[in-house]
Amino acid sequence: MALIETQQLTKRYGETVLALNGLDLVVEPGITGLVGANGAGKSTLIKILLGLLEPTSGEATVLGYEIAREGPVLRQYVGYMPEHDCLPGDVSATEFVAHMAQINGLPRAAARERTAETLRHVGLFEERYREMRGYSTGMKQRVKLAQALVHDPRVLFLDEPTNGLDPAGRDEMLDLVRRTGKEFGISIIMASHLLGEIERVCEYLVVIDGGQLLQQGPLGDFTAAMGVLAVEVEGEAAVLAGNLRERGLRVEVEGRMVLVALEGDERAFDLIRDSCADLGFGLVRLERRRQNLEDLFRPTEKGTAHAAS
Amino acid sequence: MPPADQRTGSIYDLGYRRYDGLRLGRQHAVLSLYVYTLRGAFGIGRRASSKIIPIIITVIAFLPALIQLGVAAIVSDEVDIIRPENYFGFVQVPVALFCAAIAPEITGRDMRQRTLSLYFSRALERRDYALAKLAAFATALMVLTLAPQALLLVGNGLASKDLADYVGDNWKDMPRTIISGVGIAAAMGAVALAIAAQTSRRAYATIAVVAWFLVTWPISGILVAEVGGAGRAAALLSPFDFVYGATLWVFDVEPDQDSVQDLAEIPLWGYGAAVAAYAAAGTALVIRRFGRIAA
Repeated sequence: MALIETQQLTKRYGETVLALNGLDLVVEPGITGLVGANGAGKSTLIKILLGLLEPTSGEATVLGYEIAREGPVLRQYVGYMPEHDCLPGDVSATEFVAHMAQINGLPRAAARERTAETLRHVGLFEERYREMRGYSTGMKQRVKLAQALVHDPRVLFLDEPTNGLDPAGRDEMLDLVRRTGKEFGISIIMASHLLGEIERVCEYLVVIDGGQLLQQGPLGDFTAAMGVLAVEVEGEAAVLAGNLRERGLRVEVEGRMVLVALEGDERAFDLIRDSCADLGFGLVRLERRRQNLEDLFRPTEKGTAHAAS
Repeated sequence: MPPADQRTGSIYDLGYRRYDGLRLGRQHAVLSLYVYTLRGAFGIGRRASSKIIPIIITVIAFLPALIQLGVAAIVSDEVDIIRPENYFGFVQVPVALFCAAIAPEITGRDMRQRTLSLYFSRALERRDYALAKLAAFATALMVLTLAPQALLLVGNGLASKDLADYVGDNWKDMPRTIISGVGIAAAMGAVALAIAAQTSRRAYATIAVVAWFLVTWPISGILVAEVGGAGRAAALLSPFDFVYGATLWVFDVEPDQDSVQDLAEIPLWGYGAAVAAYAAAGTALVIRRFGRIAA
């Protein structure tokens, strides 16, 4: 059974804004990255699947439950970590998370026990008895994850889980998400506009743009197919760029770096080596550049523009 | 000494585990929210500063009962026992204070802190959320309208010479007291919550609730007493007036001469109908508000 299935899912805000435009999507269980630029429809899709928003038209099922008719039953098995702040300041993490567990149907005693376990799992210890108003952003993000996990959901929706975290906090959060998905077999839908984060955690990728499905598939398909090599040489970057263009590569000069578009094959590596050898340039650095997501969305047009400009 | 068994380490690993236990679903969710909200209304489980206002207001509601029982304990027989309908006349003020101070917290907290999206993505419907909040708030108000009367009944019963006689004399008042207390809590609570739910800003909500109580009151007084005629219907506008009218109807007591209820010449059952209508309208508005609010 598919984890999520949508048919012609459409969401219109007012007259003008079309957040989802007849989205047809099938997502299998696993850890899936939901990628798209701001405004692509990621949050809208998640909110519709959770029943927070009503679709303008179309249908969807999650875990085989129809969202329109079986919402409360379905939502017993779903966890949601929103992008925005959502924690009351004047209660402790323990009290709040236990309350949330009960709202999800757990009996009181089980809710308390699960709260203690889950807060430990996300790395919150003595602080959990304090009012949440004094928490750092990192601690708040952990509580947000804990409240989404406390009832042991079968699927977890994470909307930009690393929002506002510093690099170390980011690493810890991503690690936590990956472990939660891999070790406990909870399916995860993680929305992000940062490809780097998705790469570290997810197995599958769903790319939406303008409210429509652009591409989907295992992560490997994406990273192999597209990328940019940054080359730094001891010598004139422009000369190397000219030489590489003659060898049929799409190339752009950016300061002292030469950016080479990788087009699905490894041929570029050999050509760069040959170029450097022919020109007598020392090769200082050769690294795979993270593409920004706009490139991923439209690999052909944007990629060309990138390389040719 | 034998080497430590390495496996013992694992029993201390109390990290994440799967949960296969009971999931009690929607009803349990609603009940949990009801209890949590009711506790929150009195600041239970919150910091001390959240308890001060609800406790002071509750104490005010109990004061006449405590004073009457105290005086009766000292001077015994000489004391007039407070009639239940008169107690309702008094308790309206603490109820109004409680509405103004606490209703904005009941609804505004989750909006302000954006916790609504966590509730609405769980095992309940928006309507369930609204009803649980309403029920909890109405229950909190019933603590003010009914608990002092219960205390008074028990206290006076124990103080009387013959408990059985006392109960025999007063049992007819019990259902009336309960109906009246529930009616006041439902009508004032539902409307106050409907007003407060329109904004997440605490101050605005409080002012709006206060305005409902205090602006309608002189209007009702002036229109009924000075203008008369069709203006007398204004007695149904002011919560203090229509709620007291309904209490008089429930207890089958004639209004005092020159009181609003006396001058308005509305049949007393009209106030009872008003209480029901206000409670229903407030409930509908709260459900509508939370049915539409963005989460």
